[in-house]
This record gives sequence, structure tokens and C-alpha cells, in this order.
Amino acid sequence: MRLKRVCNGFREEVPIPLAEVCMPLFRRVAVVLWAVAATLTITGFSGCNSATTSTAGPKVIKIVSSLPRTGSAKAQTDTIVNGIKLAFDEASHKAGEFTIEYSDLDDATAAAGQWTAEAETANAQRAVKDPDVMIYIGTYNSGAAKISMPILNQAGLMMLSPANTWPGLTKPGKGDPGEPEIYRPTGKVTYLRVVPADDLQGPLGAKWAQEMGVKKVFILDDNEVYGRGIAQLFEEACEDLKIEVLGHESIDAKAQEFKSLMTRIKGLKPDMIYFGGTTQSKGGQVAKDMVSAGLECKLMVPDGCREDAFIQSAGAENLNDRCFVTFGGLPPEELTGSGKEFVERYTKKYGGQPEAYAIYGYECAKVALAAIAKAGKKDRAAILEAAISMKDFKGALGEWTFDANGDSTLTTLSGSVVKDGKFEFVKVLGEK
Amino acid sequence: MASSNSLPLFSNRKSKFENRKSKMWETFLQHCLIGLTNGSLFALIALGYTMVYGIIELVNFAHGDLFMLGCFLAFTLLAWLGLQGAGPVWTLVGIGLILIIVPIFCGSLNVAVDRIVYRPLRGAPKLAPLVSAIGVSFVMMNVGLFWGGAADLNFPDLISQNLSNHNLLGNSPIQFTPKDLMVIATTVPIMIVLTLFVQFTKLGKAMRATAQNPVAAQLMGINVDRVIGATFAIGGGLAGAASVIYALYINTISFQMGFQNGLYAFTAAVLGGIGKIPGAVLGGLVIGLVRALGSGYIGEKWTSPLIFMILIVILVFRPTGLLGAQTREKV
Amino acid sequence: MAKDEKQPKKSSANSDLRLQGAALLPDYAQQVSKRSPISPNSVFRAEIILPLLFLLYPLIPGLDNWLFSRTNTSMGSQLTLIFIFSILAIGLNVVVGYSGLLHLGIAAFFGIGAYITGILTVPSYPFQFGFWIALAIATFGAGLLGVILAAPTLRLRGDYLALVTLGFGEVVRFSIRNLEEITAGTRGLNPLPSPVLPFVSEASWKIDYRWFYYLTLAMLLAILWLMRNLERSRLGRAWIAVREDELAATCMGINAARVKLSAFALSAALAGLAGGLYATKLTSTAGPDAFDFNRSMIMLCCIILGGLGSLRGTLLGVLILIGFDNVLAPILDGVIQQSGINASNSRFLVFSNWRMFIFGMTLILIMRYRPMGLLPARMAKAA
Repeated sequence: MRLKRVCNGFREEVPIPLAEVCMPLFRRVAVVLWAVAATLTITGFSGCNSATTSTAGPKVIKIVSSLPRTGSAKAQTDTIVNGIKLAFDEASHKAGEFTIEYSDLDDATAAAGQWTAEAETANAQRAVKDPDVMIYIGTYNSGAAKISMPILNQAGLMMLSPANTWPGLTKPGKGDPGEPEIYRPTGKVTYLRVVPADDLQGPLGAKWAQEMGVKKVFILDDNEVYGRGIAQLFEEACEDLKIEVLGHESIDAKAQEFKSLMTRIKGLKPDMIYFGGTTQSKGGQVAKDMVSAGLECKLMVPDGCREDAFIQSAGAENLNDRCFVTFGGLPPEELTGSGKEFVERYTKKYGGQPEAYAIYGYECAKVALAAIAKAGKKDRAAILEAAISMKDFKGALGEWTFDANGDSTLTTLSGSVVKDGKFEFVKVLGEK
Repeated sequence: MASSNSLPLFSNRKSKFENRKSKMWETFLQHCLIGLTNGSLFALIALGYTMVYGIIELVNFAHGDLFMLGCFLAFTLLAWLGLQGAGPVWTLVGIGLILIIVPIFCGSLNVAVDRIVYRPLRGAPKLAPLVSAIGVSFVMMNVGLFWGGAADLNFPDLISQNLSNHNLLGNSPIQFTPKDLMVIATTVPIMIVLTLFVQFTKLGKAMRATAQNPVAAQLMGINVDRVIGATFAIGGGLAGAASVIYALYINTISFQMGFQNGLYAFTAAVLGGIGKIPGAVLGGLVIGLVRALGSGYIGEKWTSPLIFMILIVILVFRPTGLLGAQTREKV
Repeated sequence: MAKDEKQPKKSSANSDLRLQGAALLPDYAQQVSKRSPISPNSVFRAEIILPLLFLLYPLIPGLDNWLFSRTNTSMGSQLTLIFIFSILAIGLNVVVGYSGLLHLGIAAFFGIGAYITGILTVPSYPFQFGFWIALAIATFGAGLLGVILAAPTLRLRGDYLALVTLGFGEVVRFSIRNLEEITAGTRGLNPLPSPVLPFVSEASWKIDYRWFYYLTLAMLLAILWLMRNLERSRLGRAWIAVREDELAATCMGINAARVKLSAFALSAALAGLAGGLYATKLTSTAGPDAFDFNRSMIMLCCIILGGLGSLRGTLLGVLILIGFDNVLAPILDGVIQQSGINASNSRFLVFSNWRMFIFGMTLILIMRYRPMGLLPARMAKAA
């Protein structure tokens, strides 16, 4: 193909536009296409869409996870994926007579640097369409779950979340009006989660604060689904417990620092600041600016901050003895039995203590394996049924069951305090 | 009896009122101080933007990410020199070393990027290098991801560690720590030196000439390519200096920090009149002040929209920025 | 590539080509020679073949499934998304490509369209107008907001205008985020109902990607046809005249302000339309962060990469960038994961760790070797 031509007697050679170069090709293709078009219009709208044939063998089951693997949440999702992979490796990728193939899908894009609705939709559609996919582990963000839940529900594909904590995803009356029915077009429960929802953690945190003698609290949140949800529940609980709420502010998680805000809060003299948010949404900076503004009160954060990265980003000296963390389930070092083994194996494999969400990722994978083994056949409905009907599942988090909404019955929360750059277990919150 | 009782009560109330009033002033001044300190950081980043823009009319979206890489280099150097927990003398020497190495690194990197990416596009439509700059920004972000990992990193607080966090204003309720002083004591001289440099040195004059009319400058015997290279070097060096000061002051670095800082710096540069060095400084200070006062009095979550709303309003009334001349664009 | 190499040497010091009288001539000659290289009456033109290909794609039995089994990507569904972003890019192209005004806030109008559609259709609001009316209101509403933004700011030049649009974009995003009572904040509004069409049941919209595929394709083709005609109309030529030389255009009796305003309004309206389709396709308005500055930048990259002011270029740009991020990247990721080369768990062998690098290099390399864009418009010149 000629790619350049001399232009109108001038000494320059200019590239011929791509379209022009491709023209002869277009012409040939076009003739064929028109012919195809004619036949197809006659045969009509006949292509069958839903039946994709299996590409893997009958004894191979695919499990996918959909988490934001690019951009701001990468640090946390890395630990979740590590947890999932650990569980599959331990079982040598076998569940019953089936071989497990795991793919780690990304629901973020490079351009956005965070989860996007289109990538999450594509992942869900991909999972639905592939007849070998039996379990969908995800999502990290509750907002993303809202998008993929109806798609997966329609296909009867089990969705297992290691990290969504928005109460509305499962609990009627706890979220927005219409939730969670709007996510269940078929009316059946297909969404299960191993992580306790925020409606436990917020109030129990407030109760703990009261026990510590906190009278006045200032509440901050990161204005994300998770952080804002949990901070609002904390605020409501404070009102019930007669803790004075001095104010409730949303921060901009992309801002560099919060010194002015802290100066204002300092004037209000709170006993404690509650920050609903994660390490990613500037949990560390909040703690640091408290110190630099001269605030000496306590700080309480939810489980989104219970990871070494939080202490690293805040600087251990800024958190010592003043930062209290609530966390669903027992912390890794307090675990016994299989939980303890998990911590040991994780540390051995990845070199370092597992972060907060790693154990949920691990638990999800364990549930998936157990459900497949119990169902004993490669069938989405059977595996879902097997998972829902599992009683007293003995996982790394303890012994628990899925309730009618798809939530874990695990209601144990633990409180820790940061001491010498480590989380130190203080007490169990809200045990019956 | 009654009157003697009421008198102290009254005076007490009055002093309470005065107390509150002076407290309000103190808080206000404190916000202003925070704003100015942050603003001078924005200004330092904005200078790099505005210099590059002034000379080749390129909005260099990669500038913020260059700044981010500077922070990571400072972090690496800090561990390498063993500054955390070091004594005051070694810390000062170390900071001095970092303040020399990082700007040199950022300056050279910026020149290299210009050579490889932007220079081949000098004759291209104006928006082509803009896309390249966005591309460079993504590449740098990825480099930062490999360098420092995905999570936020704590940059050790070297200043407070040695000089303690005590208030320089004695017992005044307004906090002015050695850290704040450090920011102002480094940014202000840099800005003054830069202004003098551009105003009075030969290279500075060549820069201004090239910015005004590259062809005429070339005809006058100015090596335009070299001048552009020098501009990129100085702009990058400023980003490097800003990154060290930022890391020492804010103490948190992450691979995504370049974006927001770059956005504010770009805003500062345009607000002051893009291409104008005093404009970038003024713009940076205005943004810092608005941010601090906004989050102090209006609410943190409305701070960012407030900055942009003020920006729109200012530009509607002063279409070429605060210090921009009311001239027609070159045709 | 001869041209690309020569130009910088010739005018390396010059950002404004038009200052050099001599350089102007070959440039002009080149424009003339490029005109209509393809016979206009031919039915075999790319403009006919490509739409035909896309029309046929879902009709070929088993093609989508075959592609799925090879790539694990639901191609039809991804194409729908690309059609929607194409509408957005065409909208942006009106302002940036035709009128030469740098616009960095198109995502705001995209978001406004999505949220208007959301508010007017979701069950938690009392309106529930249904898809079609909501989409129409979203389109006009976004267009109106475009006028409101543009009217006071049109006298701004170049990068000052760019900053105002950027600022507006951020204000809109933060407003969506903060006005929780109206927009549900970061939780987003959902579920948006499917469009209503006779003979098509609600369920089939959800199960079968083809309904949405054809809906968006039809809208895209209609808009393309409209834009092709608009390009050659009085208004289209006025846009280009204002871009090339505002003073000269005003002297010829063109009301520059009105012309620019119309470009802004049209672009905002198209963005609003795309936003409405986007939200309906995803059955959710996603969250405010789906409409941030990044989105605007990427759309801008799409149209510059493809070739400013050229419809074909715009479509190609969207196909490359959005296609990379949503189609190619997941496929490559899957291939690398399945190949098992990363047994040692090295972070350098994880595809998602390299995604931004590849994306950035794509932008740099394309601009390096095709500074005018991949398919430049015939009349496009340094603006």
C-alpha cells in the first residue's frame, strides 16, 4: 500500500489519510457485507443470545471476583485477592470433585482511577453469560454492588461480598426506601455477605464511646457510601445514648489537609472525634491534622481503617493510645482455631499480618468452596441453595450462618486501640 | 449588697463577650495563617505551570505528577540518609541535601520529558501536546504506583521531631509552629529569587522574549530551544522544591496526590493570569485562603466548590485573571 | 511521516504556524488536495459500511457468543457503551472541534443528563415519567444549563474559558455529591426502569443486550446524520469561521457570541442525552465520581486523538480509548492471569499494575506520530 504522496508539486511528502488507504479493502468487504445483510434480513432477528456454550469441561467451575484493582482502592483489594487466592491454594483449587478456576476481574478503569459503573456492569454480564461461572465474589464498593446485584439476581448467580457494608443491600427498612427489593427482580435472595453491615458497627461504636466516658463528640465522614452511612448511624446512636453531637461534617477525601477544620473543631472542645471513612479517604491525614492543630481528644474509626496502612499513613506517634477502632469479628491475633491458622498461613505466604479485609476475602472463598462441595453439581441454583442453607459454617471468622436476608449472623464486633504502632485488642463489643 | 453583687457579674459578662470577640479574631487569624501557608505551597507548584504555559502555551497536566514523583524521591532519600530519628544537625544537613537533589531530579526529568514528548510537537496544533501531557501524567502515576505502592505513605515529621511542635508566638493562642515558618521561609525567597531572575538575568530576559514572540526572539539570536529547555528545568525544579516542602509540611504522600495538587495549581495559575509569575503567587495565596476560610466557616464539603465558584465569578469580571493584561490574544 | 518530522524543524520555535507566511502555502495546498478523495456517489463508502457492520453484528447468529467464548467479553454490551460515549464525544467535538473553544467540563453535563433522567424515572421519586419523556427533558435541561453557563463566560478566551468549564464541572460534581436529599449523594439513584417500546417487554430489555444496542445505535446514527448536515450548514460553517478567525467572522456579519452559545448548548444537550442513556443502560446514576474531571479529560483525549472537528476521528478516538479501557484491558488481563506466568506473584506481572502506563503511552505515542489526530478533518488547522 502506498502511504505517502507528493503534494501538488510541492517538495513535501504527506501521509495519505488512513481512510483513503483502506478504501480498496472497504470496497471488497462491502460487497460481501451487502450479501450477508440481504440474507440476514430475510432470516430475520433470529440469533439466539442467551445460550453460550461451556468452554471448560463439566468438572471445571469458574469463580470470578470483581474488585477495583486499579487506582485508589488497590491497596485494600490486593489483600482481599490475596485472601481469596490463599483459600483456593489451600484447597489446591479443588472443591468436591470440581476444579476451581479463579479470575480476578477489575471493576475500575485506568482512566477513572476508581470503580466505574460500566466496568462493574461488564463484569457482571460476563459472569452471567459464562455458563461455567458459578460464584461471583464482589464487590468492594457498595455503590458497585447496587449495579451488579440486579443483573446477577436475574441470572440466579450467587454473589458473595467480602466488603459491602451498606445496610440497604440486604436489610429491609435500614437503607433507602425500596431497598433491598429493588435489587432482587426475581424476588429471591442471591446476594450474601460475610462482612457485618454498618448498622451494627455504628451504634456499637457509640456505645463503646459512652462506656469510655465520652460526653461530646464531633463526627466526620468522607462522604462516600460506606463512611457516610456508618457516621450517620453513629450519630443516631449518639442521640439515643445522650452523647452530645457537636457537629457532623463531610470532608472532601481528595483535599490535602484539614487544619482549618481541626482548628474549628478545637474551639468546640469535643471529647472524641468519630471519623467514618477509610484509610483511602484520608483517615491518616485526619489523625495527623488533629495532632498538628493541638487537639488532644480521642479518635474513633470504623473497620475501614483497621489496617496497618492506616497506622503507616497516620504515623504511629499520632495515634498512640488515642485512636480506637471498631471491627466486625475478632481481630486476627485474637482468633482461635481456623482463624488463627489463617493468620499464620497468610503471614507465611505473603510476609506480613493480614489486613482487615483479607480475612473476609478468605472467608468468601471458603464459603464458595464449601457451597460447591455441598451442592455436588455444577448448577447455579443448587450451589446458591447450598450456600444459603449452610448452618453453623466454621470459617476463619468463627461459627456463623447466613440469615434470611443473606447477612452473616456474626454480630461480634471487637474494639481495639492503637498502641506503639499496633492494634491492640481491648474488648468484644455487642456480644449477646 | 445587690449592686455590689451585680457589678462583678456585669463586668464578668462584659469580659466574656470581649473574650469571645478576641477569640473570634484569633480563630480568624489562625485560619488565615493556615491558608497563607498552604497557599504558598500551591503558589510554588503553580509557578512551574505558569512558566511553562507562558513560554509554549502548554497546559502541562503532568506537572502535578512530577511533583508527586519528587515527593517519592524525597521519601526514598530520607530513608537512605537515615533521617528519621536523627539528631538536629544531621536532619538539617539531610533536608538541605534533599532540597538540592530533588529539584535537580525533577528539573532534569521535566527537561527529558520535554525533549522526548513535547518538542516533536512544537509545530502541531495547540491541543496535541495537551493530550501528550495527560499521557505523561498517567505514565508518571504508574511509576509512582510501583515506587511507593498504592496506599498513602506517612512522611516522617522531621521538623517537629527535632524542633518540637512548640508555638513560635509564645503563649499566643494562634499556632505558628516551626513547620509553618519553614514553609514560608523557603517559599518566599524562592519566589523572590525567581522574579528577580526572570526580570534581570540574560536568560530571564530571553525567556520573556520567547514568551512574547518566539520568531522575533529567534531572529534576535536567542536559542529558543535552549530557553524552552531552561524553562522546563526551572519549572521542574520548582515542583521538586515544592514537593520536599509539601512532604515535610503535610506529611502524607501517595501516588494519586499529583492530580488534586495539580488541579489547584492550575487553578491558581489561571486565576492570577496564566503566564504571569506574580499572578501565580497571588492565585495560590487566594486559593489557600479561600480553602482555609471555607473549611473554617462554611463547611469542609463545600470548600472545593466554593473555590471554583469564586474562580468563575472572578473570571467573569476579570476575563484574563487577577493580574492578566487586557490584551487581545495573538491571532 | 515526512511531514511530522519536517514541521518541527521548520517552525520549531513557533507555536503559531500562521505567523510564517511561507508555511501557509503548502498547508493550504494540502487541504485542497485532500478534498473528497472518495467518490461521493459510491455506496461503498466507510460511512455506509461501518454502520452496516454494526447493524449486522447482533444479527449474525452466534457471533456475539463466539466472541464471548474467545474473549470473555460481552462485545455487544460493550459496543452499546461505546455508542453512548460516542454521542458524548460528538457533543464535545461541537465545542472543541468545530468552534475551537477548549471545554474541560463536559462530564458535568453528562452527569446532569444522567441525574435528570434518574430523578424523573426512579420509583423513589413521585414523577416516574418513563424513559422517553425523561430523556427529552434531560437533553433540553442539560442544553439549557449549557446556555446558562456559557452566556456570561463567552467573552473569556482560550484557557480562561477552559478553566471556567473545569470549575463548573467540579461545582456540579460536588453539588451532586453534597445535595444528598435530592441526589442520594454517593449512593446514586436506582433503579432506573427500562425504556418502554411497544412489543418489547421489560424483561427482554434486561436479558437481551440487542434492544439497547439498537436504541443507542439508532440514536448515534441519527446524531451523526444530523451533525454531517450541520457541518455544512450555515451554522456549521459559522462555527468553523469563528474558530479560524473570530474577528474576520464578525466582519462577515456572523454574530460570534450567538454562534458560540449555540455550540455550547448543542454540546451540552448531546452530553445530557448521552448521560440519560448511560444511566438507563446501567439502571443507576452510578455516583457523582462517575462524572468527574477525569471523564472530561478522557473525552477530550478521545476527540483530539481522533482528529479535532472530524466526526470519523471522534468515533475512532472513542473506539480506541474507551475500547482499550473497557474491552482490551480486561481481555489482556484475563489472558495474562490464565497463562499462569505470574506464579511467583510478582507485582510487575499483574496487568492492572500496568494499566495506567499503557494508557498513557498510547496517548503519548499517537500524538507523537499523528499530531493532527488519526483522522484529521479536511479543514482542521492549528486552532
